[in-house]
Amino acid sequence: MDTTTPPVNTTHAPSPQIISQDRVKFSGKAGEFFGIWTVNILLSILTLGIYSAWAKVRTYRYFYSNTSIDGHSFDYLATPIQILKGRILAVAVFVIYSLVIQFFPTFGILLAICLLFAMPWIINQGLRFNMRMTRHRNVRFAFAGNYGEAFINFIILPIASIFTLYLLLPYVLKRIDQYMHENISYGNKPITVNLQGEKYYMAALITIGVTIAGLVIFGIILGLTGTAMGIGAIDAENIHPSTIIFPVLIAALYVAFLTLVSAVYQSIIRNHILNNSEFEDVASFKSDLKAVQYAMLLFTNAFAIIFTLGMAYPWAKIRKARLLCSATEVTIYHGAIAIIDTAEQQQSSFAEEAANVFDIDISLT
Amino acid sequence: MNQTQTTGCYYYPSRSQHIQCSAVINDEQIQLFDNQTNSIVSVSNLDCSFESPLPGIATAVCFADGGRFIPDDINFQWPFTHHSHGIAQQLEKNKLLILASVILIPLLLWFILYRGIPAIAVYSVGLASPSMVEAMGEQSLQVIEKIALEPTQLPSEKQALIQQQWHSMLDDLQLDKKKFRLSFYQSDYFSANAFALPHGRVIVTDELVILLKDKPDALRAILLHEIGHVQYHHGIRLAAQATASTIVLAIIFGDLEGITEVVLGSSSSFLQQAFSRDMEREADKYAIEKLIALGYSNDDFADAIQALQNKLDEQAQLDESWLKYLSTHPSSQERIDFARQYTP
Repeated sequence: MDTTTPPVNTTHAPSPQIISQDRVKFSGKAGEFFGIWTVNILLSILTLGIYSAWAKVRTYRYFYSNTSIDGHSFDYLATPIQILKGRILAVAVFVIYSLVIQFFPTFGILLAICLLFAMPWIINQGLRFNMRMTRHRNVRFAFAGNYGEAFINFIILPIASIFTLYLLLPYVLKRIDQYMHENISYGNKPITVNLQGEKYYMAALITIGVTIAGLVIFGIILGLTGTAMGIGAIDAENIHPSTIIFPVLIAALYVAFLTLVSAVYQSIIRNHILNNSEFEDVASFKSDLKAVQYAMLLFTNAFAIIFTLGMAYPWAKIRKARLLCSATEVTIYHGAIAIIDTAEQQQSSFAEEAANVFDIDISLT
Repeated sequence: MNQTQTTGCYYYPSRSQHIQCSAVINDEQIQLFDNQTNSIVSVSNLDCSFESPLPGIATAVCFADGGRFIPDDINFQWPFTHHSHGIAQQLEKNKLLILASVILIPLLLWFILYRGIPAIAVYSVGLASPSMVEAMGEQSLQVIEKIALEPTQLPSEKQALIQQQWHSMLDDLQLDKKKFRLSFYQSDYFSANAFALPHGRVIVTDELVILLKDKPDALRAILLHEIGHVQYHHGIRLAAQATASTIVLAIIFGDLEGITEVVLGSSSSFLQQAFSRDMEREADKYAIEKLIALGYSNDDFADAIQALQNKLDEQAQLDESWLKYLSTHPSSQERIDFARQYTP
């Protein structure tokens, strides 16, 4: 298994000396993960949701452990209890929020404002937790963002971009990505990230181009089916099979279209971020994800999931991970053997302590 | 003494340094040796902990100082792990259980969403205090008023006439007049329609009154239908069910991303429509029963629905109403037939 790892304690000339240069390997198998997935869902239902925390940890561990750089896999360190606490908190907040919204709609505004101010903290907490729970070669990652910066990047700037008719939006997205990545460190080694605003504007233009092209095609199809429907459908009493098939088809097209647009943007940005990030002397990255290939994958994934009523989900998830890994090349430098895990010494601050207690799960993509 | 050997990678505590080594395991301890057979680590079994095994992944042993050893062989079995260790993995690899899950999950989900949650909602409406329901209803009305309602244009004599009819009906049904209040609004959005708020206020649009101006009995049938919604606490139940289903789906499928959320989102709104279709039937039944009890005809209700449907058909000529099949009400013909053929 571990043929690529050279002996460690040999003497070397001054850095940067390349130890290895290879694609990220992903060794997960759809069949194997299918078993984990279904059995975990069944157990989650039977335990009224409690087991879902264990399920999450096992799923994450499966994916982390099957992802390896230079022969060493990642580890996911969160314990089910941490996840469970986070989920109980999230459910409690959600229940309160929906009750307030549904029973007292006018208080909803007040609550939304509170949530707005809590958001930067929640985002930071989520990023911090996820980084701390990720380990590679016995060294954990860390995230060092602060409330003020998060508030500017996630609240002030997005609101400001509305007033510029979204002209500022690509710049804001760049700021957000910069913030989310430049605060990462691997043990005692901080990352350097240099993102360029121009790339984000380019990505936005390309995405808008694809969107317009897609909308034209979508509109033509919709127009065709719309007129086809006009004949028999007014009569609500006899629901024709086509009344059901066409909306489903249109929904499917809509999903496919969203997939395509997001794949284009995501692939451009992902490549840009990885190509401009490095742990100096330790690791640099290269990503060559192709928009068309990625779009095709997400597209077929979405269709497979819909037409198998969800059964294809494990297969889709494995496929996606495999493609993303194979599109990523990591160069490891000599400095990688001397990284010290600093997570233990940092535990003094409240934020770091809180990050250990529970997981706040926020998906930012 | 039992002795097992394997090879793997040892990771030093809290640092990125690591070394390929071989492990010798016996009943008391684990020893790691480098290529030159120098001992690197020697740890008593009691100071070792094991990760919970996962299918297809080598089980690492963690030492008390933070060092770790991962065997090269993904199927390597640690000889002295506890019997219950790895039970999750055994379940995840069990073909019969996987097959059972595939069949059981949809069944259980159906049962929870369509049977469990509605049943709990029926039970839990009793827990909501009247003042809370009142506040909820009035606030909902404020929001709807802003979005979709205009002051009524009906002549005051017409309003008074219907109010009078409403009050005598409440008397006949022995319902609280303070709770059940009737209001008129003009609305382009709702067009000819009526709806009930959970605290007992019933809203009738000018358009509906005009549509049924020659059929006072049909209007009465619709008002009874709305009273039915209030009596069965449909508004609160719907709110509670929507919240509960979202939570259930989010917990069970917690870690899904992107596309699947779209699918889940639409399925939960389909779900809500199915809920409310059941509720419409319940309210229909209430209206028909009360019509008969008060000495009117069950055909009044059928007439009302027929009138609404005719109006809908007219509008359907104008806009793409083929989406109307997704409407929250059961098919009109079904409701008309149900009303006409109703036998107590």
